[in-house]
Amino acid sequence: MTLKSARLWIVALLPLVAGLAAASLLWDVEMVNNPVVAVRIDLGSAVLVAGLAVSAVLSSALGSWQAAGRRCRAQMDEARTQAAGERRRFLQRLDHELKNPLTAIRAGLANVAGDPGLAGQGETVKGIEAQVVRLSRLTSDLRKLAELEERPLERRPVDVAQLLEEAVAVARDQAPAGGRRLTLTLPQAPWPVPSVPGDWDLLFLATYNLLDNALKFSGEGDAIEVRAFEDGTFVAIEVADTGPGIPRDEIPRVWQELYRGEEARGVPGSGLGLALVRAIAERHGGRVRLRSRAGQGTVVTMRLPLR
Amino acid sequence: MNEEAGMTTQPKILLVDDEVAITSNLAPFLERAGFRVAVAADGEAALARVADFGPDLVVLDILMPQLDGRQVLRELRRAGNWTPVILLTQVGESTERAMALEEGADDYLNKPFDPHELVARIRAVLRRARPGQRPLASARRLISGDLVVDRLPRRAYVGGRELQLTPKAMALLEYMMMHADELLSRDRLLDAVWGWDYPVGTRTVDTRIAELRRALDDDPADPVFVETVTGQGYRFVGPVEAEG
Repeated sequence: MTLKSARLWIVALLPLVAGLAAASLLWDVEMVNNPVVAVRIDLGSAVLVAGLAVSAVLSSALGSWQAAGRRCRAQMDEARTQAAGERRRFLQRLDHELKNPLTAIRAGLANVAGDPGLAGQGETVKGIEAQVVRLSRLTSDLRKLAELEERPLERRPVDVAQLLEEAVAVARDQAPAGGRRLTLTLPQAPWPVPSVPGDWDLLFLATYNLLDNALKFSGEGDAIEVRAFEDGTFVAIEVADTGPGIPRDEIPRVWQELYRGEEARGVPGSGLGLALVRAIAERHGGRVRLRSRAGQGTVVTMRLPLR
Repeated sequence: MNEEAGMTTQPKILLVDDEVAITSNLAPFLERAGFRVAVAADGEAALARVADFGPDLVVLDILMPQLDGRQVLRELRRAGNWTPVILLTQVGESTERAMALEEGADDYLNKPFDPHELVARIRAVLRRARPGQRPLASARRLISGDLVVDRLPRRAYVGGRELQLTPKAMALLEYMMMHADELLSRDRLLDAVWGWDYPVGTRTVDTRIAELRRALDDDPADPVFVETVTGQGYRFVGPVEAEG
């Protein structure tokens, strides 16, 4: 029960309590004849009954009001679940509808590439192949998103320090830091970052995506900082950079699927990276937050519950 | 099968997919790769072609009208037909993958795939195939020395002691044992076991391999089970037998 509804219940029951208190006093007082009402009732009982009646009316009003609230919330939850389900089914259908033509195109291209009569078309074929591979990747990312919401989650203690160390190591392997200062800060005092229950692979993917974004959207001389800390209920993982930042009006849209900002046009990517990060955090009961200032940089925080 | 036999007799492949655009492009490609190819457009036709064409391997799409790929596979195995099957998986990958394993597919590939990868898989499965015998893929238990993997309850034992493995490490072990003696690239393991082509690939696989090795007490420098092939991937080196 919330504090607000507790307070309302107290108000509703107040007349009953007052009635009880008055009745216990009045029972001791001498009985008085009531000239109007034919029923003989001592004043104490009358006050008690009145208190009871008022309480009953208030309680039932409050009860039905709360029930309406509950119904409304349930309806909203249901609508949300339904919308999420529809979106998931849409993604699955889209993925499915793209897959077969892509498979056929890839097989057709392999035939063309192997045809000696078309030997002069090598470059063209390669160009088409590259685009088909790009589309294939997009479908696989869409599938990941759709699957994320229903695949069973492996929930085991994930060592956050180890997770971040590996993600940073992979980022260093994959994209040479190219003059960026990439640092990882893990607190040791008063104790190291605790582990969180979750799916190692998914949390790794989320962290790596954040790091990959920071690397993609920063340049020589920029600093990228990866850090983690806890506050007793959550572990927060943060990836911060001194890159160009995101214009204020674009910030609310960066979590949307397939959204790509002005700055992102020339940068490779599917536009699904941050959507995946958010879906992963939410599957773990966590949240994500992005703050950015144009010209100064960006910080993304992923908060994961400790249990 | 020795090299000579492989040269003179072309392996027969039955390609089953209801999408004509796929079969009409894939069949000639497989023929050029040196196979004899027959095509079926649905599950019923597939069962009929298995009987009259007698393929050495079936490439089977899962989503088909009427009898789907999973039912075809079940039907074949129930009839004691152990022709190797490569499944082309589609929706709900993780569940489908588990089903494919339980029902005895020899390998699976996600659409859309690189056709060269399909040829490589077909060759690998044919190399392992023991004609007429129950393949590792449909065994209830996989055994390598004192390592026993009980596939349906998904448990693994070494010398009778149960191993504590994460589900992902368990699936990885199972897949590697089913493809024993094959060089498995990290990308292939990701695709087959994770079902996602992670952009971050390699480390994810390495982490689970490390977990497996710790659980199996396998020394990477002198491996009994999992060997690292530098720069290429991993290989399960223990001899694997099927039981049940």
